[in-house]
Amino acid sequence: MIFRELALAIWVSLKTSGLAALVASALAVPAALFLAGRDFRGKRLVLLINQTWMAAPTVVIGLLFYSLLSRSGPLGGLGLLYTQAAMTVGQIFLILPLIVGFSYTALWQVDKRARLTALTLGASRRQAGWVVLREAKYALLIAVLAGFARAISEVGIAMMLGGNIRNATRNITTSIALETAKGEFRNGVVLGAVLLVITLGINLLVQTGLRGRDKE
Amino acid sequence: MNEFAYRLEDIRYAYPSPTSSFSLELESLRVGPGEILALVGPNGAGKTTLLMLLAFLARPGRGRLEFRGGDPWANEDSVVRARRAAVLVTHHPYLFKGTVADNLSFGLRLRNIPEAERPERLRSALALVELEGWERKSVSGLSAGQAQRVALARALALRPQVLLLDEPTANIDAGLGLRMEAVLREVSRESGTTVVFSTHNFSQASRLADAILYLSEGRRVEFSHENCFSGTAATDGRQSWIEPRPGVRICFPGETHGHVTCVINPADIRLFAADDTAAPSPGRNVFGGRVTRMETTDAAIALVRASGSLTFRIALPVAELEAKGISLSRDVLLRFEPESVEIVGPRTPGNSHD
Repeated sequence: MIFRELALAIWVSLKTSGLAALVASALAVPAALFLAGRDFRGKRLVLLINQTWMAAPTVVIGLLFYSLLSRSGPLGGLGLLYTQAAMTVGQIFLILPLIVGFSYTALWQVDKRARLTALTLGASRRQAGWVVLREAKYALLIAVLAGFARAISEVGIAMMLGGNIRNATRNITTSIALETAKGEFRNGVVLGAVLLVITLGINLLVQTGLRGRDKE
Repeated sequence: MNEFAYRLEDIRYAYPSPTSSFSLELESLRVGPGEILALVGPNGAGKTTLLMLLAFLARPGRGRLEFRGGDPWANEDSVVRARRAAVLVTHHPYLFKGTVADNLSFGLRLRNIPEAERPERLRSALALVELEGWERKSVSGLSAGQAQRVALARALALRPQVLLLDEPTANIDAGLGLRMEAVLREVSRESGTTVVFSTHNFSQASRLADAILYLSEGRRVEFSHENCFSGTAATDGRQSWIEPRPGVRICFPGETHGHVTCVINPADIRLFAADDTAAPSPGRNVFGGRVTRMETTDAAIALVRASGSLTFRIALPVAELEAKGISLSRDVLLRFEPESVEIVGPRTPGNSHD
């Protein structure tokens, strides 16, 4: 596998998974803030569904979106199948419940007095919401990074929705699958090491965040 | 200028939780600008709940709550404005992560106080609570008392029109507590700040407040629960009694059954030196003891604690105290009429709604 292909695969992984983590976080964190801050009928059911969704296999999500995006599917006209966009959308749905779950726990654990204190010191409801988010920022960072790690390490969605097209939708994990299938175990191991280095980078970020929190 | 800082009419507030049967009901309450009002009552009396209403952190389910002549709940902007004028310091205050300065600056930033003005505000507020130079200290690791003082400084830095304090000296030692009382008095006098604070301590309320609101089980009652006793009532048909301690009876008129809580107004208790010829003979509602604490209020009222088989607080004019020759550690007798015993509840105070 030439260097350019490897670099491109890494770029596809970072781009699709990074974008998926960003979009999923933008949806998941407000949802978690809502869930953590309010009691309503059916809340437990929502949390139960979310927890169940967390365990959904990547191939099941891949299959679901494959059936939606394939030419004969209801969204076939969008022409998204076997594109990086399709991979990103699939990964968003994969990590959304994970980030909701982690963020919910993080926000739920924020002392309930934080919001009241912000309000009595003159914050509007929105400003008080930001205070709660700020108090949980490191735990929320972990939630987002865990979502990113899950997205970048999955193979089922990338394979089914991206199609592992050379120089287009091939990413690190589909490259590993391909190299393994070809019997090029050494390349597979190298790619696996690259993925681990990226994961290490994520963990270092988390550790740095935690150290920062400990210093406070 | 409005005649009242607060005006409450026919207020009712019940917690939304289905497991809580507590409700706060007040027919009427007026708090004047610059007034110091003490909320006195046992745990579960509704002091904190009332402070939450006055801080606009909870909205009454019924009735009218006016703040400086207007409806604070008219819209989102008006409630934020009202909250910026009336700041609550809770019993167990929450400090945001970061430094003392971060905490004190929070409300100043929200109010767009110019950055150049903030250091002086921080410095003077911290000086008032005797934490000069603590700006850069991290709030993690502060003791409960220090946290309470930082929270008080955080509120003082905002120079609010109303300062609401939930048991402001509960976590700090007695000497510092007295100095904090002096600070509150000074803030009220010099800045015209209205102060509403809750306390279990009748003496503190008498020392500091212009007016006292006594609460019990979410309702206004006539006087303090300093002399609050519980027990299972026995009766002979004409009068009833409880025995807060075995063999020690508090008698009251009428036929009463079951578990009751009663209070005796400190002003209704007569106090005598034990060797006084006018001292009562042993009998109904006569108790012996020794003076274990004495203090006087600005209104020349002496607050005496007498401990014997039961501990009582007695309020009497200083002149009467001096005339009777009562002093600290002196043996005393005290007496009150059965009619002075008020039954305030069927159960012992002390649940989650403070």
